[in-house]
Amino acid sequence: MPSPLPSWPSLLVATGISKQFGGIQALSELSFEVGRGEAVGIVGPNGAGKTTLFNCLLGLETPDTGSVVFDGVRIDRLPVWKRSRLGIGRTYQRMELFRGMTVADHLLVSEQASSGTFRFWRDFLNRGGPTPGELHHVQEVLDLLGLEAMADRPVDGLDLGHARLVELGRAMMGAPKLLMLDEPSSGLDAGETARLSTVLASLRSARTTAVVLVEHDLQLVESAVDRLCVLNFGRMLASGRVDEVLADTEVRRAYLGAGG
Amino acid sequence: MTQFFNYAVPGIPFGCVFALMAVGLVLTYKASGVFNLAFGAQAFVSALAYVSLIEDGWPRWAAGVLAVFVLGPVVGVLLDRLLFRRIRTASPLVKLVPSLGLLVALPQLALIIAGSTPDIPPPALFVNAQRVYLHLGSVPLSGLELSITGSTVLVVAVLVALFRFTPVGLEMRAVVESPRMTELAGVNAGRISAFAWILSSVMAALAGVLLAPLYSQLDPQNFTVLLVWGIAGAVIGRFSSLPLALLGGLFLGVAQQIVAGYLPAGIIATGLRPSLPFVVLLIFLPFTRQRQFDDPLAGCDPPSATVETETLGYRSATTLAGAGEDDVHAVGLWHRRLGLEGPDAWWYRFVRRPTSTLAWVLAALAVLSALTWVPADWLLTMTQGIAFGVIFLSLTVLTGMSGQISLCQATFAGLGGFAAGQLADHFGLPVVIGMVAGGLLAAALGVIVAVPTLRLAGLPLALATLAFALLADNILFPNSWVGNGASGVIVPRPSAGPVNLSASKPFFLLSLAILSVTAGIVKLIGDGTMGRFLAAMRGSELAASSVGIDVYRLRVVVFAISAGLAGVGGALFGSLEGSLSPTDFNYQISTVLLVVVAIVGLGSISGAVVAGLVYTTLQVAVTTLPSRYAGLVAVLFGLATLSYTRHPEGFLDYLGNRTLTFIARNGAMSRLMGRSGTGGRGQPPRNEGAGNPDGDVLVPTPAPGGAT
Repeated sequence: MPSPLPSWPSLLVATGISKQFGGIQALSELSFEVGRGEAVGIVGPNGAGKTTLFNCLLGLETPDTGSVVFDGVRIDRLPVWKRSRLGIGRTYQRMELFRGMTVADHLLVSEQASSGTFRFWRDFLNRGGPTPGELHHVQEVLDLLGLEAMADRPVDGLDLGHARLVELGRAMMGAPKLLMLDEPSSGLDAGETARLSTVLASLRSARTTAVVLVEHDLQLVESAVDRLCVLNFGRMLASGRVDEVLADTEVRRAYLGAGG
Repeated sequence: MTQFFNYAVPGIPFGCVFALMAVGLVLTYKASGVFNLAFGAQAFVSALAYVSLIEDGWPRWAAGVLAVFVLGPVVGVLLDRLLFRRIRTASPLVKLVPSLGLLVALPQLALIIAGSTPDIPPPALFVNAQRVYLHLGSVPLSGLELSITGSTVLVVAVLVALFRFTPVGLEMRAVVESPRMTELAGVNAGRISAFAWILSSVMAALAGVLLAPLYSQLDPQNFTVLLVWGIAGAVIGRFSSLPLALLGGLFLGVAQQIVAGYLPAGIIATGLRPSLPFVVLLIFLPFTRQRQFDDPLAGCDPPSATVETETLGYRSATTLAGAGEDDVHAVGLWHRRLGLEGPDAWWYRFVRRPTSTLAWVLAALAVLSALTWVPADWLLTMTQGIAFGVIFLSLTVLTGMSGQISLCQATFAGLGGFAAGQLADHFGLPVVIGMVAGGLLAAALGVIVAVPTLRLAGLPLALATLAFALLADNILFPNSWVGNGASGVIVPRPSAGPVNLSASKPFFLLSLAILSVTAGIVKLIGDGTMGRFLAAMRGSELAASSVGIDVYRLRVVVFAISAGLAGVGGALFGSLEGSLSPTDFNYQISTVLLVVVAIVGLGSISGAVVAGLVYTTLQVAVTTLPSRYAGLVAVLFGLATLSYTRHPEGFLDYLGNRTLTFIARNGAMSRLMGRSGTGGRGQPPRNEGAGNPDGDVLVPTPAPGGAT
């Protein structure tokens, strides 16, 4: 893509990732890069390999070939939790909340886990109370996401929109350098999507956290990202500025179904 | 080769029975989503009826027909209607506990009804059991073996014909593939599921009747052992394929004979045979995809309303004390500091906390006063209860806090007790130190169990731990340096130093002290960071690891802590009794432990303590009844599982929540908390009678994870 994009110092560099499931080549020799503070959208038809790419980057799947470097550290052999502690937060397409826990506890657990201190012995002395700093961070994210009013509610009874925000908040704890969001707007109504969009915009303007956004809602993607990648059949079909990528004929044929 | 053949052929009848069990298990698992551990009990009930009827002078064929084709299906349909249909979409624990309870309770109930175990050795169904009818090569085949093999072939033929050529067979195959889709296509899945239960129950009954002649006397334990073989067969069939389960059962039957034949006699050979199921489970379970175990109906069914208030896991006492009516779910209390209410609110500081402290002080005084007015034999019972309370605490940590299901807690307890006794015996170590050492050794065993089962959760983990308990019963405990077989190990009362703790009253105090220490440890874990991490792991291991929690390490740690607690409790119990034998803590006790504490309450420390006291008290109370009612405790807890499915939070929490709700509704608490009446935060009006004890989750909305 010959489009002039601002260049970001690289944060995540994945090179030559391949993954095969049985006879299906989910990803083939895919390379993918994210800069510091950059917001990247990934779109593609169902089955294009978006979630597989996520899982390979995050350690839920082991890629057959290729390497992943995050923040100067090679991470493709690290377990999921170590990658998370290096500063990657994620959400799930199919929600994975901690049943029975309150909203605020979700955030606190994430904050405490990402700081890496297990604190088993300290628990015996201070009875495991969170530090003021941790509580402050929790409060900040609650405010940002507008979840303040339901901080003490167990997540089980939340509606889908708020539940997705809780997942987002949980991923945002511990000041991650990279947030990976897997279809955060799926199942949300227009109002909830708007709220999500606001949060994403504020993340983008803060420029402290890079965002990778897998999403079908093109409107949301357009407003939230700096760069758009299109996946199809495990390959990178196009990558560049949103308007240019969407104008690309090949992309239109593969994804939007327009006859070129 | 001839030798191999000679070993293999006698294994075929065993294989046939295992195969019947495996097929029956898979059939109901796929059709109704419940892994029916009561299968072994069903087999026993029919076998008992069969033998009892013959003893009463019935002809064998009539007794057989009645036991297999009338009693079997009736029991199966009753189980389906009364219990299993209601819990098809519940959590693994809620599905497991009732079937475990019934596994123990049904045989005892049958024995109470029958009056006594029949005295005659069980006869074979059609033929003379002992007579050799023909030789295969040089292997003699007795009537028993022929009838077992012949019946199995017949059943398989009928099954194949049913599935291949009849409409109901086609529908059942569809239900087994996808219950919801089949229902959408206009098939009544409930009817098909009932049919599957009938089929499966007939198989259970047939397996029971066919196998009964193998034993000189009917004993429920034998049928549980058979069940574990059937489970292993079902695991080979990956819980989903009927032909594979059939082959798996056959394979196991032949394999166990070959293993027994080739190995030199001795503890390895006799031990390896029963450990084969465990080995099979460990090899095959990780290859089956985890998700399909969690729920064969996953993604199709919303959670049913009756079990919407799932087992909520451990909640600290402070949480319970400070929780208002709509906050009982909370883990930890700190966050209430963010708002106005909470531990810093005046009502909490000046009313709730002192009240709670006062309650604890009063309880402690009441317990201590027991020393003066409780008769000596009841003091013994209370001490036993305390020892079991410590063992139950191990499940509070493991299952209540971290959501892991273990069916080998008694094994840990036994190891702790044996270690304490052996150390005292061989090295003259004081028993109290021996208890600690026993706890540490049990913790080490916990690590040994946790590491190979790291990738398992829910039902597979429960089955693997059950198989491990059986393995330990067979190859670990019979050794003279561990459990010393049937004669057991002497565990002395502590009497070291100037203080003599061996008399019943000082020992009671010692037990109380040990309970306080262990409960304190559990409370600190539950209220602390670790408790929060465990709660996260219970909620979703996937998400827990993606926020940075090392889930595998946490699991090993929590298994070690839990096993250590069980070991200390077991050592305490052994010291109280003076001696400990492997039957005190066999695998069956493990299942009873889980059932009892789940019914009373896994969510709190008091749940464990009350469970211990109730369990031992009931057992002593039953001894005052005629010997016919010896199994009554098991029956009571088994039947209690029927109500457990409605209140998975446990009896104690149910009462507690009821009380809290009552107080809140009557205004006293609400005024203190500055709230108006019921439903503090604009929640919809509560809905009694929907199995919603605390009225927390009022609208049975699908869990957020359910919709994609």
